[in-house]
Formats: sequence, structure tokens, C-alpha cells
Amino acid sequence: MYGYELAHAIRESTREAISLGEGVLYPALHALERRGFLRARRRTVSGRTRVYYAITPRGNRRLGELSGEWHRIAGAVRAVLAET
Amino acid sequence: MTTQRFAGLSRRLLRAGVAPRHVKRLIAELEAHFADIVAELRSTGRSQAESESQAAIRLGTEDVLAANIIARPELQSWARQWPWLAFVLLPLLALPLQFVLSMLAAIGVFNFSTRVLGLTALHPGAVPWVVGVLQTYGVWIAPILAAGAACFLAARRGAPALWPIVGSALIALVGASTNASFEWSPAVPRGALSGGIGFHFPDVGTAMSFRAAFTLLIGLATFLWMRRRVNGENQARSP
Repeated sequence: MYGYELAHAIRESTREAISLGEGVLYPALHALERRGFLRARRRTVSGRTRVYYAITPRGNRRLGELSGEWHRIAGAVRAVLAET
Repeated sequence: MTTQRFAGLSRRLLRAGVAPRHVKRLIAELEAHFADIVAELRSTGRSQAESESQAAIRLGTEDVLAANIIARPELQSWARQWPWLAFVLLPLLALPLQFVLSMLAAIGVFNFSTRVLGLTALHPGAVPWVVGVLQTYGVWIAPILAAGAACFLAARRGAPALWPIVGSALIALVGASTNASFEWSPAVPRGALSGGIGFHFPDVGTAMSFRAAFTLLIGLATFLWMRRRVNGENQARSP
């Protein structure tokens, strides 16, 4: 996916609940690439050069860790809210 | 190529020490993203002006984009992360390298002139002049270039003044201690070229101080000139 597609996907999958300046995606993408979590490939499609990002095995592992962490926190918050 | 829309952001990021390769790619990606949003909005029947205005809002203001990019330490240039390396150590190491290269070039010119062109001490042609120019480069110009380049780049990248000043002072000192001589006469028919870095005591006083001060002055003048120019450009562009 390239940046515009990613922004579009975020908007759609969150039903526009997460609204951010779409441009701020790029520093995050560059930083993730520098850390080895993403791989960037430049491709020319229909005469336009785009940078496509793909997750690396290292990125997948990190995503798994963060997802697990998030589910634990979300579960804890749900449990607290259920008691109130 | 940076369009006018993101030219200000590009300059701002470079001044803040973001690596040029990241700036170039970020700007290209933002431009493409902007064009995609405009095309998306145009396809819904909006005018070009309205689409561009909406695209600018969706992408984020220059302040927001700049703050987000500058806040990422991973995107900073190596010169910003290790200024002592960029503005002190590397220019300092470039000095003996340039000196050695100029001496090797002088040896090459001499060998070519004697072995291929058949010049002798009695008929030296332009050899003493060319070797003199190369020696002048190694002894005088190389330190000035090393200090000037360090100061120029530091000022252009908005680096703190400390490192280029320290670098220039060390370069000036080492540069002033270089020496070279060439002799080629009937008394020395095979020629003698010598060069080195060190203190030669009768010259330590005035001559060495003058050379060091001259190099330091050029470096600092370059730094101040470039910094003033960058500040002038920033003021001219600020609303």
C-alpha cells in the first residue's frame, strides 16, 4: 500500500472515528522503515512514482507484541467499566 | 522536484536537521498524496480550487507536518546526530588526506616530466611552478577549504556554532603546522620533495600564527556569511 491508500484504509476501517492530518502518516512510515518494521519500494504506476510500504517479518513480530499489549489493556479497561 | 506548495516545508525540515534523503522522499510523497486527494474530490464534482483547499486541510498544515517530522529522531541527518563527527573530525581528517594527495600529485608531475618529457634541472620547464602550486594547495588552500566547507555546511544546516568553530580552530592549527619544500637544481639533479606536519621552531611564532589566524578567519567569515544569508532568507519568507 502507498500513503494515500493507507490513509483511505484507516478512514474506512475506523469508520472515520480516527481523524488525523493524512500527511502525518509519512514521518511515522519513514520511522517504522528506519526501525526495520516496514520495507519501502518505489514503483511507477501509470506514469506516477509511488512508494509502496510492506510489513517485514520483524514488523509482524512487533505488531503481534503491540496487539497483545493493546488487548490486555482494553480487556482490563472493559473489566473495570463492567464493574461500575 | 519540489513544488511551491511544499518548498517552505522542505526548507524548514532541512534547517531543522532532517536528513535530505528523507526530506526529498517525504515531499514527493506529500505532493503525490495531495494530487490524489484533489483527484478524489474532483471526481465528486467539486471545483479545482475547492478540492485543493480541502486537500490542504486533509493533509495537515505546514506547522503540523513540520512538527511531526522534526519530532522523529530517526529522521535526523547524521550531521545533526553527530555534529562533532561532521564538523570537526571529518574535516580534520580531510586535511592530511588533501595534503598527501597534493604531494603525490607533485611527485607524479615530476616523474612524468623527467621520465616521459625528458625535462632536466637545467631545463625544468613549468615543473617548479606546477609543483609550487600543488604545494600551495596542500599547505595553504587545503586547510582553508576544509574549515570553510565545515563552516558553510554547518551554517546551512543550522547547526550550533560550537562544532564548526572548534573544527576550524583545530584545522587552522594543524594546517599551520604543515610544511613542504621542493628543490631541483644542478646540485640536486634528481630533485627533492619533502613535506610534513609538525612544528618548525624558528617559524612557530609569527608565520605559523598568521597562517592559523588566516584559516580561522576565513572559516568563521564563511560561517557568519552563510548564517546571515540563511536568516535573511527565512525572514524574507516569513509572512
